[in-house]
Formats: sequence, C-alpha cells, structure tokens
Amino acid sequence: MTKILLVIERDLRSLMMQKSILMMRWFYAIVQIGIFGLAISRLVTAMQDYYTYYAMGVIVMTMYSVAIFTGYEIYDEADEGYTEYLLSIPLTRQELVLGRSLAGGIRSMVFMAPIIAGFMLLIGIVDPVRVAIALVALFGFTFGVSGLSITLAVGLRSGDKFDIIMGALDAFIVRLSSALYPQAFMPKPIAILSEFNPLTYASDFFRWSLNFNTRFLANPVTALIVLVIFLTTFNVAGVLIYERSLEGGTWR
Amino acid sequence: MAIVSIRGLTKRYGANLAVDHMNLDVREGEILGILGPNGAGKSSTLLMLSTIIKPTEGTAEVGGYDIRTNPYKVRELIGIAFQEPKLFWFNTPWQILNWHGKVCGIKNPKQAAERMLKQLNLWEARNKYSHELSGGMKKRVEVAKVMIQRPKIAIVDEPTAQIDVAGKYQIWDMIHKLRDEGSTILLATNELGEADRLSDRVAIVYHGRLRILDTPRNLKDSIPGGDVIDIRTESPIQESILQQMKQIPGVVDFTLVKESHMRLYLNRAEKMLPTIMSRLNELDVSIASINMKEPSLDDVFFHYTGDVLEESDEPDSAPS
Repeated sequence: MTKILLVIERDLRSLMMQKSILMMRWFYAIVQIGIFGLAISRLVTAMQDYYTYYAMGVIVMTMYSVAIFTGYEIYDEADEGYTEYLLSIPLTRQELVLGRSLAGGIRSMVFMAPIIAGFMLLIGIVDPVRVAIALVALFGFTFGVSGLSITLAVGLRSGDKFDIIMGALDAFIVRLSSALYPQAFMPKPIAILSEFNPLTYASDFFRWSLNFNTRFLANPVTALIVLVIFLTTFNVAGVLIYERSLEGGTWR
Repeated sequence: MAIVSIRGLTKRYGANLAVDHMNLDVREGEILGILGPNGAGKSSTLLMLSTIIKPTEGTAEVGGYDIRTNPYKVRELIGIAFQEPKLFWFNTPWQILNWHGKVCGIKNPKQAAERMLKQLNLWEARNKYSHELSGGMKKRVEVAKVMIQRPKIAIVDEPTAQIDVAGKYQIWDMIHKLRDEGSTILLATNELGEADRLSDRVAIVYHGRLRILDTPRNLKDSIPGGDVIDIRTESPIQESILQQMKQIPGVVDFTLVKESHMRLYLNRAEKMLPTIMSRLNELDVSIASINMKEPSLDDVFFHYTGDVLEESDEPDSAPS
C-alpha cells in the first residue's frame, strides 16, 4: 500500500508541471458550460432543464479527457527512457499500474474540484451524501479511464497509434454516449451503441447522484455495476499487459 | 559463491542477436567488470538481470531468485545506475533521490539524499529541474541513486561517462566503498582503465558472447609473450647474447631494436627479471637501463576478440 502511495505521490507531482495543458481543459469546460451550454439549452424544448443536463455531461467529459492523460505520460516517459527506471525499482507491476490509475483518478478530481464545487453550489446541491456519491462515482470512472489509457498505451507501444486511437475514441466515446444528449433522443442504432459506453453510465450516475430527473437517465444500479466492471476490467488488463508485454526500450 | 548465475541467457531483437547464450557466475562481494564495445551485449545483459527486459532464451538467478519467475524479489536485491541517466524532466535531484530512497525502503531517505548530494557536489543544484542539469550532473544523480540505495547487487553501466577526471576518481572511490560495505558490483564499461582499476575480475563480452573471464592480472598473463622488457646496454649487443636470452625459459620472442637495445617478449616479466639480470651479469653485459611493460587490457581485448576496443563502435542494439 505504501508503494502505491509513493507512485501516486510521484504522478501527482507531474500534475503540477502540466498546468498549461490542464488549464486548457478547464477553460474548455467553462466555455462549454458558460457559453455553448447556455445557447444550446435555449434551442432544446423537448427536455426540461437541459442546461443542467448538459453541464453535468461536460464535467464528466472533461474528467475523462484529464484522466486519459496518464497514457500520454507513459509515452513521455518512454521517450525520456524513464520507463526503464520505473521497471527496475522494487515495485510490483500491480503496484505500478494501480498507483498510476489511482493517481489518474485523483488528478482528475483535484483538477476539476473547483468546477464541480462551483457547479454544485450553482444548482443548490449541498446534501453531503449526494455529493459524496457523486464524487465517488466520478472517481471510479476516472480510475477506470486511467486504466484504459495505460492498457492502450502499453499495448500499442506506439505514440502515433495511441494518438490516432485516442482521437477516434474521444470523438466516438462522447458522441455515442448520453454525456450531451439523453438516449431517448438518439437514433436507435446510436442508442444501442451508447448502451456499451461507460461514459453513458458515468454521466447518468453522476446526474442521478445530484438528483437530476431520472426520466432520461440509465438505471443507477445498472450504471454502478457497469462502472465497477469498467474500472476493474481495465485495471486488471493494465496490470496483465504491464506484466506480460512491457519491456524497456523498443518504443516508437 | 555465486550471487548471480547466468545460464544460456539470450536476447534477440528481431534478426539481431544482442546476447548469445551467455553463461557467467558473479561471486558475492566482487566487482565484476564487463568490458566490451558498444553493441557487445553488455547493457542488454544487465537490463535482463534487472528484469527490465525479458530474455528470449535462458535465464539467470539473482540472489537465488530466477529473473523470469521471481522478478519482484530480484528487483528488491538490485539497484541500477543506467548508462543514460533516467531522470524525468519535472523532477529535481532532491526529489529524485528522496523518492528513490523511499521506494527502495531505505531508512531516513532525506538524510541519505542530503549526504549524497553534498558528497557529489550537487547540493547547490538540488532544486533545479533535471532538464536544467549538465550531462555530468545528470550522470552523478544517476549514480547517486545506487549509492544511497546500497543494494545487495549494484549494477553500474558506464558510471563515469561524461564525468570530469576529479568526478571519476570520486565515483571510483564510492564504488569501492559500496563493495567494501557488502555490495556485489557489476560494472559495465568500455573504458579499459576503469575496468582495470576497479574490477576484481573482468568479463570480456563481444558480439553477445562471453569471450573470457578472469582477474585482470591473469588475463594479462594469459597472453603468450604479452610482457615486454626493454634492455639498453652500454655497448652493442652481440648475437651470442641474444641467443643466450632466448634460452631463458619463458622468453617467447626477442628483437634487436637498435644495436644496444633489445626487446624481450615473455610471460610474467616481474618473475623472470631476476633470472634475466643474473644471466646478463654472467655474460658481463653493462646495462644502461631496463624498462618493463606489462600488457594492457587493450592488448587482452585484442588477443581475445581480434578487435580494438575504441575502434569498435557499432550502434548499441540494446535499449539505452
């Protein structure tokens, strides 16, 4: 456990060094919620309080894009030859992967904390139980996304391929989810695909925990189960791929 | 007693055979110099022992633990200073050593980091980001990691590359001290002087294979006629004197460099010198000067590989 905490400490330190990139994400979230969200919600008449729905989705989307950073860091480390160092120190691969995934989750939470807090105050959510459930759900999701990011980065071993896949994944995972619009308004094929998307369940569970109207949301129990399966699957996959495939050198 | 046993260790990168069925035992408490040019397979061997890369074939036991089946236990015993410093750009020397100390479970990591930074003249630069450090400073931070860790088995890959002369002596002293405190040291180098000065035994590795392993003394003595004695006389040297010299057991060859200067090629010159002096005395030869030269590890390397170490500069196939 101490070793996992040390990995988290090291990864959190890197957050402090990437302020400009992360600030861009923050700026994106604020602009999306403050400008685009306000404008688009005036067009939407089929749904009550679409603005809140949209803002909650943007928060989860932004957390996804911060958590995915872990994979990019793995490539930075490979470029600088730092991967060999991490593989040489007395850490199990499990400690290394879990530490990094947890750090990815914590980083997303720390980074988005001011926006989440501001938003909760804005919509009047002060119930500590609801706030705690919402935060735990977000953390679980970002923990899983970091695991996904590690799995893909180590599995692909190519920065170019990772960039392309993450770009494509980012485009599809957002649009084929209920992050920005409810499943009820999606064309049937897209609604079916969104059923297999963890972002759908993370967004809807977050909304449910903040007391949003459940009419347009996925079942919270199902959402919780999917999130647990998601974070477990990709962290176990990350550990396995680290143990079996990762070696120093030979990265592109 | 072997603390590291390498058995048939092989690493292949595509079509390139970097390490070719290496067999080698490292004795507990020794400094084993691994000498070879870039691309000889030194780094790949050390990276496999550190469990950073996986063998294609064969295996090794480190402190009784198999690198394939018990890599975590191996990592608990090993500390490695890489050929290229592995410092992430956003870390400072202070953070690097402090974190390394903690993750390796040493007591008082802050105290150890401070002591080591001061010892290596890095204290003033302790809060600089690693990308702001000079090449020599980065290398010293890399070596410092192993020094504070004091592992059971320390691997140092070209520890003094890019380091000034004063710094080299300091690091050599620290390596000796580390050994004296109980560590076994694997020193990969392509600097002959470094291998000669530090190593209890030297393994010559070439094209992925171990060519020879012995003490520097025995390696030098193993070259037939490797020692050279230059004798200058007061008067011209007669042919009969040369023939007498050739009769001395152990003298492999001779040449007349000038009329009053002969050169003898032999083994164990230091042991043969009294006999030669005595024979010259019997022959009533007046000696102007005697100069004795033993073979260098460069000569040893050439003898066993047919190559000159400095000139062999193939790109390293191993990850650096």
